[in-house]
This record gives sequence, structure tokens and C-alpha cells, in this order.
Amino acid sequence: MTQDQPLLAVHEALRKCFPVVEEQQGLWQSTLRDSQPLLASLSNLAEQLQAAHNLRFGDVPPLRAFPDLKERLRRKQLAAGDTVLDKLGERLATLLKVRDTVSRHVEQVLEIYEQHADSIGIDAVLQASVVSPSVADMLEWLQDIERHYRNSYLKRKYLLSSIQWGDLANIQALPKAWDQISEDEHQSLVQDTLLNVSFFLEE
Amino acid sequence: MAPDSGSFPEEPLLKVLPLDARDRGTQRCRLGPAAFRALGAHLGSAVKISLPDGGSCVCAAWLRRDGADGFVQLDPQCASPGTAVGASGFRGSLSLRSLRLVSCPSLRLLTVWPVLRERAGAPGALNPAAVLEAAQELLRNRPISRGHVVAAPPGAPGPVAALHIVSGAPSPDPAGLVTPRTRISLSGVPPSEAEPQPEVPLGGLSEAADSLRELLHLPLRYPRTLAALGLAVPRGVLLAGPPGVGKTQLVRAVVREAGAELLAVSAPALQGARPGETEENVRQVFERARELASRRPTLLFLDEVDALCPRRGGPHRAAESRVVAQVLTLLDGISGDREVVVVASTNRPDALDPALRRPGRFDREVVIGTPTLKQRKAILQVITSKMPISSQVDLSLLAEMTVGYVGADLTALCREAALHALLHSEKNKDNPAVDEADFLEAFKKIQPSSFRSIVGLMDIKPVGWEQIGGLEDVKLKLKQSIEWPLKFPQEFVRMGLTQPKGVLLYGPPGCAKTTLVRALATSCHCSFVSVSGADLFSPFVGDSEKVLSQVFRQARANTPAIVFLDEIDSILGSRSISKTECNVQERVLSVLLNELDGVGLKTIERRGSKSDQQEFQEVFNRNVMIVAATNRPDVLDDALLRPGRLDKIIYIPPPDEKGRLSILKVCTKNMPMGPDVSLENLAAETCFFSGADLGNLCKEAALLALQENGLEATTVKQEHFLKSLKTVKPSLSHKDLTLYENLFQKQGFSNLEDI
Repeated sequence: MTQDQPLLAVHEALRKCFPVVEEQQGLWQSTLRDSQPLLASLSNLAEQLQAAHNLRFGDVPPLRAFPDLKERLRRKQLAAGDTVLDKLGERLATLLKVRDTVSRHVEQVLEIYEQHADSIGIDAVLQASVVSPSVADMLEWLQDIERHYRNSYLKRKYLLSSIQWGDLANIQALPKAWDQISEDEHQSLVQDTLLNVSFFLEE
Repeated sequence: MAPDSGSFPEEPLLKVLPLDARDRGTQRCRLGPAAFRALGAHLGSAVKISLPDGGSCVCAAWLRRDGADGFVQLDPQCASPGTAVGASGFRGSLSLRSLRLVSCPSLRLLTVWPVLRERAGAPGALNPAAVLEAAQELLRNRPISRGHVVAAPPGAPGPVAALHIVSGAPSPDPAGLVTPRTRISLSGVPPSEAEPQPEVPLGGLSEAADSLRELLHLPLRYPRTLAALGLAVPRGVLLAGPPGVGKTQLVRAVVREAGAELLAVSAPALQGARPGETEENVRQVFERARELASRRPTLLFLDEVDALCPRRGGPHRAAESRVVAQVLTLLDGISGDREVVVVASTNRPDALDPALRRPGRFDREVVIGTPTLKQRKAILQVITSKMPISSQVDLSLLAEMTVGYVGADLTALCREAALHALLHSEKNKDNPAVDEADFLEAFKKIQPSSFRSIVGLMDIKPVGWEQIGGLEDVKLKLKQSIEWPLKFPQEFVRMGLTQPKGVLLYGPPGCAKTTLVRALATSCHCSFVSVSGADLFSPFVGDSEKVLSQVFRQARANTPAIVFLDEIDSILGSRSISKTECNVQERVLSVLLNELDGVGLKTIERRGSKSDQQEFQEVFNRNVMIVAATNRPDVLDDALLRPGRLDKIIYIPPPDEKGRLSILKVCTKNMPMGPDVSLENLAAETCFFSGADLGNLCKEAALLALQENGLEATTVKQEHFLKSLKTVKPSLSHKDLTLYENLFQKQGFSNLEDI
């Protein structure tokens, strides 16, 4: 049984890690869902700004009475936009937290494997059973998941940092771009992986 | 696993398979379990792989999903600079020995040099913090190696396109692992280009290259001096020259040498369909150049700029003039950044808008003409330097033969010769050497490109001097006045002779004037252009003159050249004789006079280097010689006949008895002659026969022989000749001949009178 000791340690680490991933995945998805209405409202604001920009206030009799209506309106809209952006920033921070948590756990697992790597043979790593995938596969999945979170977070961050009030068309397209990121990625990667290891976790 | 490592006595080969899509960007190297055991690796250990092309890459070892052996898939995300680009398409196989397990300690410090991505919009200096963060993200948990380049996956966002690993602690050699705790810093200096850039060979363009090089190097090397002098550095160069002389090649070579960035744009590619689209494209290109220039010295190369900036001001030209105006403002606008050097090339500099051609926009104009003899030799040396040519090949001779060839033609010639050597030498398949014969064979196939559109280019059936009977003194005169200046310019310079301009051949019809010219073209290797009335005359006013001047322009581009005007009396009128108003022929005459003895050449026709003292070879090789033939010299204009234009007037007399004999010998060379035929007698009897008449006589005799003896006739007998002599009448008469003789005398008189 001493032969299996290191392998068991790795299995143990894996068993601990996957539930964390599952929990974080839930958080991630819910955060993404929450962000969508915010993005939609940002897009709406951009549309309003565009409309206000196109309108010549002097030509509309009922509006003529209000002095510097245009500037005030613009300031108000921009303030609203900033609020939304702040909220989006919070969401982004949540995503970052998810990413870091997952990274930390995955790293721990890999570290444990590294420690025992010399005593675990290649055959043992490759060995898969009906209920449990091989260690190699599971480690690979974990790495993939971690990379997925990192890429996804990075893309969203760059997307949000590209927002400029000068470029209204870009803001209007934000919800689409946000969804595009999710579509481009291997969307069901985490879910699939979790399904693959479900028997292993229950063992 | 240890005992298995010896189970590969003869290094097994691993087949390289393309990467799985989902492994892209993971830097994994997928191996089978057997290879894993042989290497003694475990999951994720760093492996350094030597690639067949001399590069290497660092990967994390990972097991193949299907556990199959004998294959390898690798993601060369961190590879040595040369291989970083095209390695994804790399196929073949790797020996297991080229894989090496390397220790991979965690790094504390790391210095990288970022290669930033060009961003479409939002210019301006990038925040170093953002770059640092992107670098951290890109490098995280990756094994890396010093000197390698980590490329960002193509679709990934962020400002960083690639990172050069400069140094680290502990030194990442052979490998090191970047962890979240590694402190990454950006290097201020780019890594020295370790690998030598492949030289772009450049032959015979040194003057143009120098001028370009100066523009690129000055602001780089002496920025303070220039600032102290308060000088704005010249930023624009216009390269003009016929297609194929190496304008683009020159720019590329200079850019590579200077280590600058080249942004090459073909002007037609900028054209857009919608109004304003072209201007937008132009703006984008300049914007991009400016962005590049903020990092490295940059050269913006506009190829075929005449398509973009034609002359403004014509009708229906509003759209084009907008584009021209845009280019003008952009050229002026880049005065802020000194790094962008704009180089434009065109082969029609006169079609450009004049506003472009002033200092501040295109400061310099470099005219690159078709290469001269020396330049051709230099080009050939460059091209053949990598070819296995045999020692008998004389490049000087080859350069002499390739009149009018530009760089592209010479390349094609060498390629054709090499192909010929490859295909036709059965005996030494392993190391084919290109020899003289291959070049001569290729020479037949490759025509100079500047000649393809020329007016009056002739495919001459080669005629040797010896194929023309008699006329020995005329041949000698011709050789003296045309062949010698072309072949032995040194002697002419030594004797203080100027270049002869032209020769007029006159004489009764049928006396081999044209054949003589043909032999002349065969014997001296030079461009030969023959112009007849059919080429020149057109129903449009001014067209004929234009064509004639074009003929001369093209001939000058391909010197040494001979322009042959057959039946010149019909092409040119005479101002002194014709009493009518100014007609086409007189205008053509005036063009010809101008071309022969004009004030100078157009600037775009400049060739070679203009500054230094020309060698005599070069001087004489810029010679265009004109040979005119007529049988009515009396109607020619006097101005044409004076020295300096057609300075040598050669009378080609009808053959005398000795001449007739040799003509008859030439004509009957291929005839089966009877033993009784006496050519001497025939020659004595055929007084007033011209060369053409004699040829006709022989033909008649042979036909007669066929008629008499049926198709079985074997020989032509004397009686046939005598019989045909009765029917064939000489085309010359005593009266004609005295006319020519008198003219000759008169010519002498007039010359005397002039003196």
C-alpha cells in the first residue's frame, strides 16, 4: 500500500479541489448573469447620449425655454454611466476573486503532484477506471479550467477598459461583445469536466 | 520506469502531428508514455526541444490523451526567435534525442523586452503598468528559456504581442518557471539581434543605396548634432526608374541593413470604391507608420505612387485631387516624428503631381536607370554568388551580351540557366554546375523586359559577314564606323575620337544594304531596333513624332543600341526640296534631328552613377547609333547629312566582277552544280546585275534545270545559267549608276565648299 500512498495524496487533493471549482463556477456564472443588465443599461445610456447629441435643442420650441439643457442632460447621463461602470467594476472584482481562488487551489494540487511525481509512475498516472479518470487527465482539466478563467477574465477586463465616452458606438455594442466572449470560449468546459469527475468525487 | 529507458537502442523517431485546437496556447508538448519513460519526465516537467531548423523551444511535457507512442505534438509558444513565427505548420519527425529534460527552477526575477501589438485605434504612449500586467498574465506558470520569445496567442487581447526573455535570476538557462511570485521587469533596450539578418543581395545600386541609407541613418546616429544645427532631416525620397531595376529590392535591403521597420504599401491597394475611402486608407497607413515609428525607425514605402498621386487639375479629377491633397498634408504633417522616412517609387515620375516633388515632401529624387555594363556585371556577380557556376563562365562577357536587361531579367536569366543545367546534364545529377552553354541557352529564352513593349523590335535572322559576297571595303568601313566604337571604346578614347552618331548607306536597290545592316546587328551584341514607316505613321497629329521619340528613348535605355531606318527617304521629307507646307514627314525629320543632336537628355533617362568620372567604357556604351539606308540620297534634307548627325555616308556600289563572283558562290552554295559550270564566266557576263539579280539568276537556272529534266534533275548545268541569263535582265542601268556616282562626286564638292 506504500506504493499507492503518493497517488492517494494526489487523489485527495483532487477531491478537495473539484468542489471548490464547482462552487466558484456557480459564482462566476451568476456574476456574469448579473452583469448583463448593467451592460444593457450602459448600452441604453450610450444610445441616449447619441440621441441627445444629434438633437438640436434650439429647434425644438418646448425645450427652448430651458437654458443649457444639453449640457445638463449630458452631465446627468454621464454620471449615470459612471455609476453603472462602478457596478461593473465590482462585478469584475468578483470575477477576479473567482479566478484567484481557482488558481490557488489548482496550484496546490499541482504542487502536491510535483512533490510526489518521482514516486508515482507513469502507468499509475495514466491508469483510469470506470469511475475515476486518470490523474493525468484530471490535472490537465484543472490546468485548462484555470487557464479558461484567466483568459476569460482578461478578455472582459480589456473589454471594459476599452470603454470611452467618446466612442458611443462601441458602448452600444458592449452587450454583444460581452456575450461574444462567452461564446468564443469553450463554454461548457467547466461543466463537462465536473460531470466527468462526478463519480470520482462521490467515491 | 528506469529500466525501460534503455529499451530504445536506435533512437526512435517521433512523428510530429499538428496541434490539437484545445492545446493551443498551453505550451504543452504531448508525448507517449514510452517517450515519457525514456526521458524520465513527469507531467508538466520542462522539456527543451531542438527543432530541425536549428531553433529550439521549451514546452511542458504532457501525456497524449490516447496514450499512443511514436508521436509528438508541440505548441512552440516559447521558442527561439526564428522559429517562433512559422512553427505551427512544421511537419516531419523528431528524434527522441532532440528532446531533453531540463531542470526548471522557479524564478525570482525576470527581465523581458515586450513587443507591442499595433493597435488600430487609440494611439499614444502605452501605460508601462498595463504592459507589465499583460506580461505577467502571459508568462504565468510557464517554463521559459533565456533568449526565447514567448508569443501571445493570436486571438488574445492585450497590448503585448510577444515577449523576449532577456535575463532573470536564477538565470533561466536552460529553463526557468515563472510563478506568481516572480518579479517581472521590462527591459529598456531591445535584445541584440543575435541571428544575423539574411542579406538581401544588391548589385550595382550603390549610389542609390547610399542616398537612402544616409536618410535612415542620419537621424539615428547623430540626433543631437542635427538638433543643434536646427535642421529638419530630409524625410522623403522618390525613386524613379523602369520596372524591374530593383527599386523595391533596394528599399528592402537598405531597411534590413539599418534595422528599421518597413511598412510597404502598394498605392493601388489603397484605392477605395466609395468617395473618401481612399483618403481614409491613406490616413490609416500614415497613422500606422507613425505608431511603428514611435518604437523603431520606420520607412514607409509607397510603391507605384503614380497611381495614387496623379497630376491634378484635369476634368473629372476631383476625387483624385482630394487624395493627392491628403497625401500632401500627411507628408507635411509627419514633420514631428523624424523617424518616418517616406519612400515612393514610380516608373512615370512625370505623371506625379508637381506639388509632391518639392523639398519637404520628396526631398530627393533618385533615378535608377537600366543597369550599365558595370552594373550588370555586379548584379550578375551577386546573383551567381550562390550558384554553382563553372569556372569557364565569363561574367564580363555575359554582362556585355545582356544589353538592356534589368535586374529582374538577369535573375530570370540565371534561373533559366540553372534550370537548364539541372534538366539537361545527365552525367552529374548530384552536383550540377552551370556552365557557359546553359547561359547561352537561357539567353535565347529570356528577353529583356524593357524591350517587350518597344516599337520596332526585330527578330533578326543572324547573318554573318562572310555570307555577303564582295563589298569588302564597305564591310570594313561599316565595321570601322559602327562595330569598332562599340567593341573597342578604349582605342577611340585614346585617339581622342568622339562618338560617331550615324551612318547613311546609299546605293542602287538590291545591293545588300539591308543585309549588311543585318550582319552588323548580328556581329555586335547590341539592341537592334528597326523602324519603318508602318511603325511611325498614324492618322493622329503628333503621333508619329511621339513614336519616333519613344523609339529613341527606349533605345537609349538599352544602349549600346542601333536604330535602323530603312528607306529613310520615305520616312523623312526634305525641307530644302519639298515646297509644300509643313507636313508630317518634316515634323518627323525635325524630331529625328533633335534626337540625334539635341541639347541633352531628359532627367528620367539618367543611368548609372552621375557623379563620378565615367570610364570610357561607360561613355561609349551610352551610345545610340543610327543607321539609315536609302536608294534616293538626293531627296534627303541637307541638315541630316551634316557631320554630327549622319556623319558617315557610305556608298554601296553594285558588285564588280570579283564581287559578282563571290555573290554567285554564295548563292550557289547549296545548289548541286554541274562540272561544266564556270562561275567566273557568268560573273564576267553579268554586268549591271545587282546582288538581288544574281540571286534571281541562280534561282531561275535551278528552276530551268528542274523544268527540263523533270523532278529527277540532279545538277544545274552551265546551259541553264546561260538560258536564264537571256530572260533575266539586270535591274541597274548605266544611267542610274552615273547618277549615283555623280551624287557621290557632288557630295565631295559640297563638303569642299563648306570648308
